[in-house]
Amino acid sequence: MEKIKKCLQTLCLFNLLAKPNVLSKTRYRRLKIAMILFISILSLIPFFIISGVSYYWLSNILKEDVSNQVKWQIESTRNSIEYFVDIKISTFKFITTKYDFSELSDQANLSKIFREIKEEFSDLVDLGLVDSGGIQKSYIGPYNLSGHDYSKEHWFHEVVVRGFYVSNVFIGDRQIPHFTIALKRDLPADGAFWILRAAIDMDTLNRFIAAIKLKENDDAFIIDHKGTLQTPSRFYGDVLKQYTQNIPLMQQGISMIEIETEKRGDMYFGYTYIKNTPWILSVLFEPTINSKVFQVFHNELLAIFLGSIILVIIVAIRMANIMVGRIEEADHERADALSEIEHSNKLASIGRLAAGVAHEINNPLAIINQKAGLMRDIIEMSEDSQHFEKFLQLIEDILNTVDRCRTITHRLLGFARRMDMTYEVLDINDVIKEVLGFLEKEISMRSVHLTQQFSKALPEVRSDKGQLQQVFLNIINNAVDAVEDNGFITIKTYVKDKDTVIADISDNGKGITKSELKHIFDPFFTTKDKDKGTGLGLSISYGIMKKLGGTISVDSKVDKGTTFIIEIPIKHAIIKEGGNASD
Amino acid sequence: MPQTKVLLVDDEKEFASTLSERLCLRNFDAKAVFCAEDALSVIRHESPDVILLDLKLPGMSGMELIRTIKLYDHTIEIIVLTGHGKSTDEIMSIVFDYVVKPVHIKEILPRIERAAQQRKEALLESANVQE
Repeated sequence: MEKIKKCLQTLCLFNLLAKPNVLSKTRYRRLKIAMILFISILSLIPFFIISGVSYYWLSNILKEDVSNQVKWQIESTRNSIEYFVDIKISTFKFITTKYDFSELSDQANLSKIFREIKEEFSDLVDLGLVDSGGIQKSYIGPYNLSGHDYSKEHWFHEVVVRGFYVSNVFIGDRQIPHFTIALKRDLPADGAFWILRAAIDMDTLNRFIAAIKLKENDDAFIIDHKGTLQTPSRFYGDVLKQYTQNIPLMQQGISMIEIETEKRGDMYFGYTYIKNTPWILSVLFEPTINSKVFQVFHNELLAIFLGSIILVIIVAIRMANIMVGRIEEADHERADALSEIEHSNKLASIGRLAAGVAHEINNPLAIINQKAGLMRDIIEMSEDSQHFEKFLQLIEDILNTVDRCRTITHRLLGFARRMDMTYEVLDINDVIKEVLGFLEKEISMRSVHLTQQFSKALPEVRSDKGQLQQVFLNIINNAVDAVEDNGFITIKTYVKDKDTVIADISDNGKGITKSELKHIFDPFFTTKDKDKGTGLGLSISYGIMKKLGGTISVDSKVDKGTTFIIEIPIKHAIIKEGGNASD
Repeated sequence: MPQTKVLLVDDEKEFASTLSERLCLRNFDAKAVFCAEDALSVIRHESPDVILLDLKLPGMSGMELIRTIKLYDHTIEIIVLTGHGKSTDEIMSIVFDYVVKPVHIKEILPRIERAAQQRKEALLESANVQE
């Protein structure tokens, strides 16, 4: 049973079962900490979640925004390059339709055309005419390429098949990075054709790339389908170096993928294939959010976050303090009430026991009394006894001893209480004054300083005068016994509330120790000499005050003195006559 | 003046007989019985003036006995003399006095005398009424 009980108690967080250690400080501290943690965690968890989610969403939205901006730039750059290429092709197409092979074969003619085009397109490096055999028929440009045989070149085959061709960037015979645009012109007769071919400076592409606005650590470049860099790259080196990542797949429009780079870890990779060219426009960028909005949001969120944590903890601590304080208070109140009940139960059972013993002893005492009395009667009647005086003395002693016993049993039975059991309207001040009359002699003999602080506005009470007198007599008498000669006793009366008046009797005697305090209302408990007290005075006073509907309590400090506080009800319901019998 | 007749009813034989002896020494016509039955037969035959009665008797409760006696002759005065300090309103309203043991003979004598006096007056009164 005991084990199960223990388990239950340990399981229960807010265990309030009445155990001796229930009022220990550690227990309340633990309870407080548990409560603070509980409240804090409970209120912070939703807050954490909301903050986290909103942070995540906003950063995602802003990242999306960043990549959208990049996408838009890629798109416009691609359009520019495509437009650039288209213009070139249309221009060359125009030339091939306007001039025939023989006209273009003429160096002077070609030179004139070259100059005209160069005026429009400053990036044009050279211009050449290639016949269907792949031989350069004429050439205008900084290099001497006339008569060069292109029939084995890849571009020659491409242009023969497709009609036009834009090459990737290469060094070639010109020894500088460039790309070429070639256009085939079919002749109506016998399937012959010729090709107009122009080299264009690579810088043109660089200009397009430079137009893309980038952040510090981002990289924009063009690669061909084999991954050869067509423009310089911040990460992968100069033109014609190899792009080391996988070549992205051909997709419609602009694609965004996340790739893991060797140098910078995860990055976004935006790319698009450029129409009619072997080029892939690529942008590598970090989706870092650099916007002010996010910075403000970030700071505000942090501030709110820290503020809330502090606030929640303060509130949690306050709440825990209040609640644990209440619990502690309630526990103490209950513990006090329990000990009060325990105490009065104990007094009641001791009282019953004492009364029972008194009842039983009264009968034999009566017999002793009568036998001794008869002996005295007989001796008094017969005058010739030898030890007349001696016997009479002995009998007298027996009877006195019986008297002593009788005093005890009668007091135990509360016999004195039954006398004059009447309720009347009383002035407590008068009652005390009358009692002081009995004690005057002793008080003045021992030069005890008696101070009377009687409230003049004390309402009259309805109570039993005789019994109250006995209570006051007991307590004032105790005070007189407690003080040294020249000691001080103060008697105060005052109104507590509309139902109660109080009489305080305090002395500056040696006080009552804590262990004695527990027993002072027990019958037969006394610290006085044997012949001075029976130990019944306070016990009886306690019983009387209880019957009268009042209370009697004590406050004492060792070596400082003792105060008895007697509360008397003003309008206590009349106790039924006869119900006052001893108990 | 005739002797006052006193009847002691108490199951404490030693107490009752000793007290009756002492009362006899003081010129009372005292008699002790130890149970309710004997008490009733003595009352019937001798008509005592005052009864000293213990409330705890074998066979009959004190209250019952008091009622029976008063029913038989309400002029007989009863003084309860008991070791048990419990009186009730009913008892107090019927009996002449209520004394808790142990008690000095000096305390009990005046009570008996007053009770006897009261009975005599009651008897006289009822005689007058009859006349």
